Amino acid sequence: MEKLMTEQPFEQARVHGYKASIKAWFIDVILWSYTALIGYKLGYQTWYLQSRHPDFYWHEPLYALGIGVVLASVLSYSTCSVGKAISGLILFPEDRSIFRSASVRLAVFFIALTFIAGLHVSQVSMREFFSDSGLAGAQRIFSALLTPNFAIFEDALFAAIETVYMAFIATSLAIPVAFVLAFFAARNLMKQSALSFAIYCVIRFMMNLTRSIEPLVWAIIFSVWVGIGPFSGMLALFLHSVASLTKLYSEQIESISDGPVEAMTATGAHPIQVIWYGVVPQIVLPYLSYTIYRWDINVRMATVIGLVGGGGIGTLLMQYQGLARWNEVGMLVIVIAAIVWLMDYASAKIRAHLK
Amino acid sequence: MQLLQCNNLSKTYPNGTQALHDVNFTVEEGEFLVIIGLSGSGKSTLLRCINQLHPVSSGELYFEQQQLTAMAGKDLRRQRSRIGMIFQQFNLIPRKTVLTNVLAGALAVTPVWKSLLGLYSEAQKQQALDYLKIVGLEHKAYVRADNLSGGQQQRVAIARALMQNPKILLADEPVASLDPSTSHSVMKYLQKINQELGVTVICNLHFLSLVRTYASRVIALKGGRIVYQGAPGDIDEQWFKTIYGEDAVEVSIN
Repeated sequence: MEKLMTEQPFEQARVHGYKASIKAWFIDVILWSYTALIGYKLGYQTWYLQSRHPDFYWHEPLYALGIGVVLASVLSYSTCSVGKAISGLILFPEDRSIFRSASVRLAVFFIALTFIAGLHVSQVSMREFFSDSGLAGAQRIFSALLTPNFAIFEDALFAAIETVYMAFIATSLAIPVAFVLAFFAARNLMKQSALSFAIYCVIRFMMNLTRSIEPLVWAIIFSVWVGIGPFSGMLALFLHSVASLTKLYSEQIESISDGPVEAMTATGAHPIQVIWYGVVPQIVLPYLSYTIYRWDINVRMATVIGLVGGGGIGTLLMQYQGLARWNEVGMLVIVIAAIVWLMDYASAKIRAHLK
Repeated sequence: MQLLQCNNLSKTYPNGTQALHDVNFTVEEGEFLVIIGLSGSGKSTLLRCINQLHPVSSGELYFEQQQLTAMAGKDLRRQRSRIGMIFQQFNLIPRKTVLTNVLAGALAVTPVWKSLLGLYSEAQKQQALDYLKIVGLEHKAYVRADNLSGGQQQRVAIARALMQNPKILLADEPVASLDPSTSHSVMKYLQKINQELGVTVICNLHFLSLVRTYASRVIALKGGRIVYQGAPGDIDEQWFKTIYGEDAVEVSIN
């Protein structure tokens, strides 16, 4: 069947033509409008007029858009168009470096422009980095961090243990949920009928949504819901782990070989049996590997989540940082580094043996 | 006795490729029917239509006088369990023992919860071991299936199909991934099953020399249509060129 598909390729209509041209034009409009806006705000107002905080008016991007439309339309008759290059409308001769073509040079220009604008927006300043007061501050905090207060070692250790357990519970509770959801989020199993495909789409959407919200934000939500402490942090990690593991697991299911599935179906097995015998044996080891990796990530995340009240060593860190007690912070940093290194090392070792 | 009947079978894939055009043929009990044709001529599709791994687009398919194309769910699974199948890539369950793989042939007659826990009856296990003996692999029962050689894996696949207690065995290019001597060994086991256990075999093959040795009847497909039906000995130079094209040269496997 697979053979049939590759050897008799179904004639794919190449959508070069007006569709690609319109796509190219839209890309060009966006790029040129962007250039016009940056050129005006950064080049003219900030550097030429030397105004530190130029006002923003909504008509400015509209004018920029106008300029973009004009420029893109004019240049759409030439090869000087990034949009055309992306849409595959420009053929690059193989005997010449691609950097000699106008569209590639233009793309380099856009990237350079964004880099310069980025430096400005991030307020990168060598002057502040090497200023006297700045260096004095750096010296103060580093000397404190490097002379950690061992008096709080016990507290730090117990908080770290709390963090590791929190991450472990979050991971292990996420496994069964993600295990079941992954089958419904695997395209190859769910494209059979319209109903199953609809379920697939809904679950994929929910998981993407959950995953796109940082665990830090979930921790804030849960700390209001169940109160500040390890439980809220655990819930945040759990939710994020479910979403991530579902994605990783389902991708693993999508990449399995169809052979055993086909063979099990051919024996007249029930769909559940087909999954148990045709799919599961192919995914068990990668699953284990992902899960351990996830626990590793969760320990790391748990320290960050603690900063917003998710319990564990992160909460302790937040408290001492608020009091500007840098010697204690130094102690906590050492414990965190040790835990993260240990988890990283252990999970890498275990995963190497699972191959 | 007539076991299988295909009337005006056509198959069009969702991408528009028409793999089978109006295919008509019948299969008698006990036959060793071989289907030949170029890659992409529809051989694999035809086999997969017989056990409904691919639903047919139009036409009728009778297996033991029952319309398979009208079936779904439990009825279809029960009929499928009477049709064994082996594949070019063997399609064994990786990381499982040979015995587990053979027992998988009994999934259709095992309750779902029992199969999830791997609870097979002693009788089933004994039967699986017996079938392994038939294909000469009883000493490999507790070895992981993916550690076996290609020929051995295909024999495990045959034992798994036998575990279904099938009326028909479909073999989709069973020796295409094997070397010549292993190919003959696997074909001999298929012949043994056909002759000693009375299982009807429908087999896709590439090499005409294998066809002449093992087939009792031949169907040739070209572009999804049947272009030849008859005895393997009657395929002469002219027919060969019709089936495989003017430029084809026969190669043999010994």
